[in-house]
Amino acid sequence: MEPANYESESRLHELEKTVRILKKKLARSEANLEKLEQTSELRESVLKGTIRELEESQISLQKHGYELENALANLKALQGKLVESEKMSALGVLVAGIAHEINNPINFICGNLIYANNYFQDLLRLVQIYQQYYPEPVSAIQQEIKAIELEFLIQDSEKLFQSMNMGVDRICDIVTSLRNFSRLDEAEFKVTDIHQGIDSTLVILNSRLKSVLNFPKGIQVIRDYGTLPLIGCYPGQLNQVFMNIITNAIDALEEGLINQQVMLNEKSLIPTIHICTEVLNNDWVMIRIADNGQGMDEKVHSKLFDPFFTTKDVGKGTGLGLSISYRIIVELHGGKLDCYSAPGTGAEFVIQIPTRR
Amino acid sequence: MFNIVVGHSEDPDSLTAVKEVLEQCASDLADIVPKAGILFAAIDFHHALILQEIDSVFPGIDLIGCTTDGEMSSVLGFQQDSLTLILISSDTVEINIGVGYGVRENAIAAAQQAVRQATEKSSTAAKLCIPLPASYTADGSTTSGESILKGLKLALGLDVPLVGGTAGDQYRFTKTYQFFRTEVLTDSLPILIFSGDILFSYGTACGWQPIGLKSIVTKAHETVLYEIDGKPAIEFYQHYLGKHPPTIEHPLAVYEGDSERYYMRVPHTCDLEIGSISFLGDIPEQAMVRFTDISRNEVVAASETSLKTALKNYPGSEPKAAFIFSCCCRRWVLGTRTKEEYQLVRNALSTEVPICGFYTYGEFAPLEPHGSTYYHQETFVTLLLGTK
Repeated sequence: MEPANYESESRLHELEKTVRILKKKLARSEANLEKLEQTSELRESVLKGTIRELEESQISLQKHGYELENALANLKALQGKLVESEKMSALGVLVAGIAHEINNPINFICGNLIYANNYFQDLLRLVQIYQQYYPEPVSAIQQEIKAIELEFLIQDSEKLFQSMNMGVDRICDIVTSLRNFSRLDEAEFKVTDIHQGIDSTLVILNSRLKSVLNFPKGIQVIRDYGTLPLIGCYPGQLNQVFMNIITNAIDALEEGLINQQVMLNEKSLIPTIHICTEVLNNDWVMIRIADNGQGMDEKVHSKLFDPFFTTKDVGKGTGLGLSISYRIIVELHGGKLDCYSAPGTGAEFVIQIPTRR
Repeated sequence: MFNIVVGHSEDPDSLTAVKEVLEQCASDLADIVPKAGILFAAIDFHHALILQEIDSVFPGIDLIGCTTDGEMSSVLGFQQDSLTLILISSDTVEINIGVGYGVRENAIAAAQQAVRQATEKSSTAAKLCIPLPASYTADGSTTSGESILKGLKLALGLDVPLVGGTAGDQYRFTKTYQFFRTEVLTDSLPILIFSGDILFSYGTACGWQPIGLKSIVTKAHETVLYEIDGKPAIEFYQHYLGKHPPTIEHPLAVYEGDSERYYMRVPHTCDLEIGSISFLGDIPEQAMVRFTDISRNEVVAASETSLKTALKNYPGSEPKAAFIFSCCCRRWVLGTRTKEEYQLVRNALSTEVPICGFYTYGEFAPLEPHGSTYYHQETFVTLLLGTK
């Protein structure tokens, strides 16, 4: 074979081989393309499936999150109720027990004080008759009259009995207030005088109102009572609300004095609790309890009724008083409990209770 | 002396291709007579003609081989529709071949038959076995990779590592061919056994990642998975694939006990009526399973991991040749990036080291040096061979 022919035949073989390879590759490419399209659809499905699973997981997680949050809130509220009701129940029993125990002996004193005074007056009268008929007694008697300062004794005994009667009356008032406050016998819904409840609370808190740090005059309480009808309520629980709010007001005033953050003008220098009651549109009884303490900022204000929220030092407050109060007013009485406050302007708690339920 | 040469042709014409391959080998061999050979061929070739041609050039050569899902060699890199031949000659390493027939019906007997044939002429104990068994035999019926593994372990003993792969048919999943000398077979187990003064190491890695929730296999029998989490198994796949049937691109990650280690099980067929899925391997009841997905970067990275493991564990200093067995699913998902698997191996080895391999329908290799061999899917296996 000639070299030129050999070369062209070799080139021809090479070209034929290239054509064969290209044909095969083309067929393979077409087959691959078809399969790739199928795979693309498949991968799309996988992606959709994965996204769907993620969405389901997300929804499920969110749901669980909400459930857990609710469960936690319920648990906190329940714990709060439990702690407070246990505490109040124990306190109520204690107060009622003390009141009962004091009541009996005080009755003896109260009842016998009249006889004691009468007997004493009888004896004094007898001494005066002796003096009238025996103006010059023996020296031993004269010495004794001088020693006991008979004239002063006669004058002072009257004051003494007046003072003792006052003391006994005050004890009786306190005992009545304690019984009234604990209201163990009044756990049920009944028609009550709201003012009586507020007054009882103030009597119980009297010692705290009178002995405020650096203020010998104590906290001034202004009662601005309107004419309220008797309203149906749970008096024991309502007293608990008054107790919580007034205690908080006293704490705020004391804290203000300690921190010396009250403004130094004449008006705000006297720590004051202003209690105002009135009837709104014949439908609502409104009780406003305001103090002129240091007030609170928005952050504290927003959490005020949350269970376990407290600004007081560890061991001083449970953070339950206001959350329990809120529950008593809103849930139990269908009323409203609001607080208006800003730093430096004191705080005002407004309780509204429907007159008819 | 331990010599390995490789030829590779992408010519679709069988005769031209085999002649080209033989010319390349003969040129590299010089005057050395090869002792054994391994042939990896695309499915469309005229295989009998190719075997005859090889036998006519190297009469009586101990040749095994199989059809594939893609071929790789240091001559042409990664190719499809090509033919690659590796020829081995040595005076210190014994190389013997054997074949077992009827592997689908009785894999244990076929394995014993192949091992008996390969070892009867051997004077030294077997050190390494390369099996290239049938996968799909006819009409989509398959052999059991695990039964073949069991049979070979029984016949060879647990100490002889098995590193190889099952035959492929270019992703058609109907019928694969195996080669033994001049025979073209469809249901057989050809093996090649090295004994004597041979050094070798291997590495495996996968790259598939489990996704989605863990579920429990509530009903399964051998390779058939009936229920996951008390629901038909097909529903588990439908959750991710919608209307598409389970595919080999998404194998199931099966967890070992309470650990985070898992192996892959590839779905094969499904029965829509009862909602069961048949896998290419056993699925144990009560096992935790997860759906899997891939990213191509992780799959490519796995081939590098496999090679690095083999290199680290090679007992000598100069590997003479590298075999690579990579799963067809890897080729399919890697697409145009498939060549990177070969390229990573090529870049890490000296240019003098010939490389040859194919894309399989299942891989055999131990997980660790001196460890027991496992039957893998979706895996890349590197085998390094040498004498020093």
